[in-house]
Amino acid sequence: MRALRAFLFRLTGLWDKGRKDREMAEELESHLRMQVEDNLRSGMTPSQARRAALLKSGGVEPAKEACRDHRGLPVLETTMRDVHHALRLLSRNPAFTVVTVLSLALGIGANTAIFTLLDQMVLRRLPVRHPEQLQMIWTTGPSLGSTQGSRASSYPMYQDFEQRATAFSQVFCRYYTPLSISLENQAERVTGELVSGNYFQALGIGPALGRVFSPEEDDRVYQGHPVAVLSYQYWATRLGADAGVLGRKILVNNYPMVIVGVSAAGFSGIDAARSPQIRIPIQMKPLMTPGSDNLGDRRRQWVQIFARRKPGYTMQSAQTSLQPLLSGILRSELESPALRDAPQRDRDRFLARKVLTESAAHGYSGLPASYSRALVVLMGMVGLVLLIACFNVASLLIARAAARQKELAMRLASGASRGQLLRQLSIESAVLSAAGGAMGLLLSVAMVHGLLGFLPTNGMLATLRAEPDWRILAFTAALALATAVLFGVAPAWQALKVDLWSTLKEAAGSVGGNRGSVRLRKSLVTAQVAFSFLLVAGALLFVKTLLNLKETSSGFRDADNLITFQIDPARSGYSLPRLKAFYQQVLENVRSLPEVKSAGYAWVPVLSGREADWDVLAEGQPAENRETQAYVNGLSPGYWRTMGVRLLEGRDFEDRDAGGRPKVAIVNRKFASHFFGNRSAIGRRIGLDTGLQAKPDVEIVGLVEDSLYEGPRQGVRRQVFFPFSQMNQPVATAFYVRTLADPASLFATLRRKVQELDASMPIYEMKTLEDQLDETLGTERLSATLAVAFGVLATLLAAVGLYGVMALTVARRTREIGLRMALGARQGVLLWMVMKEAFGLLGIGLALGIPCAYLLSRYVSSQLFGVAAADLGTAAVACIALGSVAAGAALAPARRASRIDPMQALRHE
Amino acid sequence: MAEKADVWQGTLALMVLKTLDTLGPLHGYGIARRIEQTSGDLLAVRYGTLYPALLKLEQEGFISAEWGISDNNRRAKYYTLTRAGRKQLEKEAREWDRTTGIIARFFSPSEEAS
Repeated sequence: MRALRAFLFRLTGLWDKGRKDREMAEELESHLRMQVEDNLRSGMTPSQARRAALLKSGGVEPAKEACRDHRGLPVLETTMRDVHHALRLLSRNPAFTVVTVLSLALGIGANTAIFTLLDQMVLRRLPVRHPEQLQMIWTTGPSLGSTQGSRASSYPMYQDFEQRATAFSQVFCRYYTPLSISLENQAERVTGELVSGNYFQALGIGPALGRVFSPEEDDRVYQGHPVAVLSYQYWATRLGADAGVLGRKILVNNYPMVIVGVSAAGFSGIDAARSPQIRIPIQMKPLMTPGSDNLGDRRRQWVQIFARRKPGYTMQSAQTSLQPLLSGILRSELESPALRDAPQRDRDRFLARKVLTESAAHGYSGLPASYSRALVVLMGMVGLVLLIACFNVASLLIARAAARQKELAMRLASGASRGQLLRQLSIESAVLSAAGGAMGLLLSVAMVHGLLGFLPTNGMLATLRAEPDWRILAFTAALALATAVLFGVAPAWQALKVDLWSTLKEAAGSVGGNRGSVRLRKSLVTAQVAFSFLLVAGALLFVKTLLNLKETSSGFRDADNLITFQIDPARSGYSLPRLKAFYQQVLENVRSLPEVKSAGYAWVPVLSGREADWDVLAEGQPAENRETQAYVNGLSPGYWRTMGVRLLEGRDFEDRDAGGRPKVAIVNRKFASHFFGNRSAIGRRIGLDTGLQAKPDVEIVGLVEDSLYEGPRQGVRRQVFFPFSQMNQPVATAFYVRTLADPASLFATLRRKVQELDASMPIYEMKTLEDQLDETLGTERLSATLAVAFGVLATLLAAVGLYGVMALTVARRTREIGLRMALGARQGVLLWMVMKEAFGLLGIGLALGIPCAYLLSRYVSSQLFGVAAADLGTAAVACIALGSVAAGAALAPARRASRIDPMQALRHE
Repeated sequence: MAEKADVWQGTLALMVLKTLDTLGPLHGYGIARRIEQTSGDLLAVRYGTLYPALLKLEQEGFISAEWGISDNNRRAKYYTLTRAGRKQLEKEAREWDRTTGIIARFFSPSEEAS
């Protein structure tokens, strides 16, 4: 406490030094005068009195100095002096400073940018009460029903857990669904979350305004809670933070609901990548997802269950305690009418289902895991780039220290301690890295904005922010500090190893420093080459992956001229017959446009990563062939012509199929060969119901060429298609329009055509199919683009490093080269002499880099497509690329060497 | 002039505190004179030792300083004992008693004999 007080006192002593010095002088002066007066009184002459007083009290100046040391903070003062000195030195050498700070800023900025994303998408815990107690619960094994989304459970199963799980204080559930909200007669599509009544309580999230849901008020009556809680972000950005929204009526899916509150600021949800704008009690499910109720159905799995663990349980013990509960639930489910007649084999597998849990402290992200994996890989790559940049700066600092060797030796000789010089050199690196870090932070904000452009844009990532917070600042500061240590210590050490005597003896400053510093710089360049190889090879792998994926024939012809958009009339309150009529009218309206060649629509949008799959029963299917899964879609007539997929056999759907008598289907080539081998599929019957009692009552009327479904990574699926008109649920659709004109020019026209029919109908995801594919390949594009950027940056930095070292070598050997020339060596020989050394460094670097690349390759193999991680061709291309860049970097010094004037060189010191 | 011992740092602080406790607010010169007189002119207090010691005590909050006017109408900086300084004085005086007591026992011949 006293020490702190004294420290603060001293700290204030740093300011207003002049006044304190004056006061001190005045105090000492008054002391002296009093002494003189006393002396006078005791009978001395004035001059004697003054002399005696001075003698008695000791010198005035030493006293002042002693006080000054006590007053300020000597360490801080000398540090500030060193900083000042460093700034002066750096400003005297602007080229060096700019190059250093820029390369550090690029390295630190890129690292901070990737870290910002990684932090928000992977590392950060939920901003809720005790996130470490949260656990996600799901089950494995066959559900003998339908499943929607990952880790989904049925709502009755959630209720069982909620009432009977003893290891958890609260069990809650949620379900994401798109909703159509009408504010002031303007419909817009938002992401909604249907939540159990205890959702907010369990997370410990309160209201920013009004109230949040409670289990007592908002989870009692089936379809009886027409209330909504808005997210803070939506309220602030869309509604201008207007407190008057409380109690206001809005239309959600055309159903009137009341806004009762706004959830706390800073809380966006359980999924870091997706923030719902509005939350609604889950009892409202039938109204929020028209045409599907599911609340009471044990065979439909759709909610995700989370729970808060009671103290005293571990994650494992809590999970174990759920298993008997699940087994009981499953046994009673088997007694239900739906499963009573299930075959024994299925019953056994059903009863063997297991409960799984996982910590939900970080939430559970709906983003594909490939994003976080890609980010981790990119973090590694960008770390290497920073390392390469640091090595360059280190190399430059070594060169500078070598040039300053005489100055340093002189200062050592005149009494400066090595510690003092070391401190001053480290402060120089610290100043450089601080400047680099500060610039890097600014750069990173711009870079994150750029990176966000690569991620899917459909509102899912609204929570990702580019603005740095304290975690990012801390990361950047730590990074800057680490770089300062990395590139500062070795050169400083090297600089202080000077041999005083021989350095001072030399008449002129040596050009390149001592042998040790050259060797150090050469090893730095070697490491740079090795790292660059890793990055270039990695970049090539990612680019090849992207190209392979893009060139995978989608089966759809000319995706550039194919426009797609989606509409969802059920969310505007359309009934099934009205909805079907509406789709038909939209189709006719669109087809009537002169620029439109053809148009059609489908239930599941293709190349978007979405899918629906059912078990299919095929007549005449071999008994041993148990693989019955097939991917389905509902299509309008004209779909195949629009998509440019060839009909191989049979016919397309026609308007007369709408009646459903007979039920018809089209299958693709892969489906046909799986179920029927090389016999014709036309005329065969299949069963399409999802249950176990499907009857083969659907006739195959057409066979089409294979095309992609979710995206290129998943490849071609076994597919079966039925007429959209036979769909028995009011679902959203994706329209496909083939045009002869420029697609972008048609967007507004298409919008108008739809809104002529219903002015308030939201239209979303309008783009060309090509753009859709690009979006689906977002991770791959992100990886490839960044990897290429990192690879190029790394190669350039390494080239600069190599150039520096070769220039240095040539300068050091000027005399020797001159001598060789005088003795008749030809230019070509000298050129080769220098190049040989450069290639030597390159060779060692590659020899180190290639095995490292081989070892690391398995970490990226899951990110690749159509190319082996240890691909020889890629390695060869990377070697050639690095080799030619290295040759280019070494050529200038080599040519300089070969053009040295022997006479001058021999006089050279 | 006879050889005088220079006062040593640790004890100087204690003497300053005791002086201020006895005489109330006082300027640097007064403190120095008082210490010298009390010591029977065996100690000499120099600027170079006194003023850093005063600054240190001020930084630690045991004394406070204020400019004032001296008896013969000069501007001088007056030092005053603070409440913390008084506590510190009591504590240090106790410790000093203990230390001197221990040292004294080492040098008393009667103890050694028994």
